[in-house]
Amino acid sequence: MDPTSRPAVVIDYGTGYTKMGFAGNVEPCFISPTVVAVNESFLNQSRTSSKANRLAQHSAGVMADLDFFIGEEALTKSRSTNTYSLSYPIKHGQVDNWDAMERYWQQCIFNYLRCDPEDHYFLLTESPLTAPESREYTGEIMFETFNVPGLYIAVNSVLALAAGYTTSKCEMTGVVVDVGDGATHVVPVADGYVIGSSIKSIPISGKDVTLFIQQLMRERGENVPPEDSFEVARKVKETHCYTCSDIVKEFNKHDKEPAKYIKHWRGIKPKTGAPYSCDIGYERFLGPEVFFNPEIYSSDFTTPLPAVIDKCIQSAPIDTRRALYKNIVLSGGSTMFKDFGRRLQRDLKKIVDTRVLTSEARLGGGIKSQPVEVKCSQSSYPEICSLVWRFSTSIYA
Amino acid sequence: MILLQSHSRFLLQTLLNRVQNLEKAVELDYHWVEFDDVRYHILVSMKNPNALLLSVSLPIPPPEAVFMGGLPFGAIEAIKAAYGVAVQILDPPRDGFNLTLKLNLGKLPPDEEHRYALLVKIASVREVVLGAPLRVVLKHLSSRTVIPGIDGLLAIVHRSKESFFLDPQPDKVTVVFPMRFKDSVDIAFATSFLQEFVEARRTAGLNNAPSCLWSPTPPLELKEAPAEALSANAGFVSFVILPRHVEGKKLDRTVWNLSTFHAYVSYHVKCSEGFMHTRMRRRVESMIQALDRAKPGVEGRKKSPNSRSFKRLSLKEV
Repeated sequence: MDPTSRPAVVIDYGTGYTKMGFAGNVEPCFISPTVVAVNESFLNQSRTSSKANRLAQHSAGVMADLDFFIGEEALTKSRSTNTYSLSYPIKHGQVDNWDAMERYWQQCIFNYLRCDPEDHYFLLTESPLTAPESREYTGEIMFETFNVPGLYIAVNSVLALAAGYTTSKCEMTGVVVDVGDGATHVVPVADGYVIGSSIKSIPISGKDVTLFIQQLMRERGENVPPEDSFEVARKVKETHCYTCSDIVKEFNKHDKEPAKYIKHWRGIKPKTGAPYSCDIGYERFLGPEVFFNPEIYSSDFTTPLPAVIDKCIQSAPIDTRRALYKNIVLSGGSTMFKDFGRRLQRDLKKIVDTRVLTSEARLGGGIKSQPVEVKCSQSSYPEICSLVWRFSTSIYA
Repeated sequence: MILLQSHSRFLLQTLLNRVQNLEKAVELDYHWVEFDDVRYHILVSMKNPNALLLSVSLPIPPPEAVFMGGLPFGAIEAIKAAYGVAVQILDPPRDGFNLTLKLNLGKLPPDEEHRYALLVKIASVREVVLGAPLRVVLKHLSSRTVIPGIDGLLAIVHRSKESFFLDPQPDKVTVVFPMRFKDSVDIAFATSFLQEFVEARRTAGLNNAPSCLWSPTPPLELKEAPAEALSANAGFVSFVILPRHVEGKKLDRTVWNLSTFHAYVSYHVKCSEGFMHTRMRRRVESMIQALDRAKPGVEGRKKSPNSRSFKRLSLKEV
């Protein structure tokens, strides 16, 4: 039996979450946090005591190199005991710790998907700025350790753009705004090719939103245990945050009707098990606002996301710009805030219109330019996946 | 994770999800494949959200294995015994599958604990179906009898076109696995792994485990087996199962561990390869560090921020 008769395995590993599944399905089978919990107690012992080490391991009933967990299990394990330490293999969209990454893949394949890697083709993803060395390394691990019969490493923004391809419109030109947990990229794609020189990255990503929310809650003195505050902030971000159209108006709305807007968070302290609760107020809209007014979060980087997108398109070849404005695709977890696309579209439209007006004024008003159409669309996750899935089958079939 | 779990994680997750949101009608249509070429398909339609169709396709059986109507013998009885009223077997199964089960989610046991246990059991449908013949044999072993009508060797499929063999006797059952691997590195790993496995059995503390043997040539039990089943590139492993290994609750575990022994070995071969690569990487890193330290004169040329990193070419040198 050859692998073409079986569905390909798709693993899309991001900084925050890994999405894995089989080609041909509408949704990934598992979405789990990209984190590995390793039992360190047996790993770093000197070589001379290797015999004793083995006996110790045997009596403890573990094998050190297999004693680790990934995803949600890793988080619960590290919370309940002290023997495991967490490591996040991916930082800012790039693989940082190859040992952890290899273990992560091992568990993904054998414990979660439970497939034999020799039987399936694999589709992995990478960020547009991945170095060729790291791609080579990925291939090495996949072929040498797991003996996969075939591998394709795709750029995730191209796949996101391709998500819209199968429906009525057949366009492979557009700007992909990929706001993930660890990295934010603005990638212009023309006819399926990435315009490498115009890729823009900004140092604000989903994780910064979480950190900002954590900071806001801490400064207000909410009653959250410090060891849990990052996780709480992440949950708050994922469940309660939304994008507002105007901060001042939103502040007024919150102040007038606090009962309607302020949410409550209930949790259990991980160490003592005592319940606690806290309020969630302004951070609901201030979190996503980081992308539109970065100066509220950091003083190093102050260009708002719409301006970055505009700069990116302006640096692309002139004949593609109109098409690029027309098809702006949002992908990644942090674009899923309510009304994020609408806000982005409005701000970008404003920038473009001002520029058109000034150029018209400069030229004396004689020439009327055709209005530029700006359109943002959400490339919602299931769609991307299905496309990723379908895409992978079409590559290999 | 040292042993493979008997339930399919994804199937259990889907079932639990479905049971918890029963009032919300959702359409589900998933295909997936597990190790040893077991395929699953799950289907829920909008029209009838309480009925869940689960289809399973098994590895293609080799000629020596006994199959009845597309299923290993004893499978139908095993399904009925394990699942009871909540599950109905559809005949004929869906196209391309060996078995289709219709699961009525409304008929699940009402209390939380029993329902969860049943769902886990359904998620381990693979163990129930593929392990059925083994279970029958081991059941007879626990009552120290032999199945009437079967004498000599019994072949049970465990991978596509491959089977393992049972030699049932009233007081013991010998299980023989011919081990085959595709990659030459895998063969080397598997051979030494299995020898180590036999060695480990001899240590104190494992006295009650089934005795286990590895040999590069077919053992005597296999002399009646067809010739093509005897070509194994990683040798033969045999276990002797005694009645005490299949008492009561141990039976399920024994059945699962035996029927997925090949997958277990192959998982550990892959893990050892990964472990060796980790060690190799660490070694390369330490050597590179040593090399870096050995470079002469690095400290002397500390770059100041505005010194030029390139050498200016002068005309004389050209």
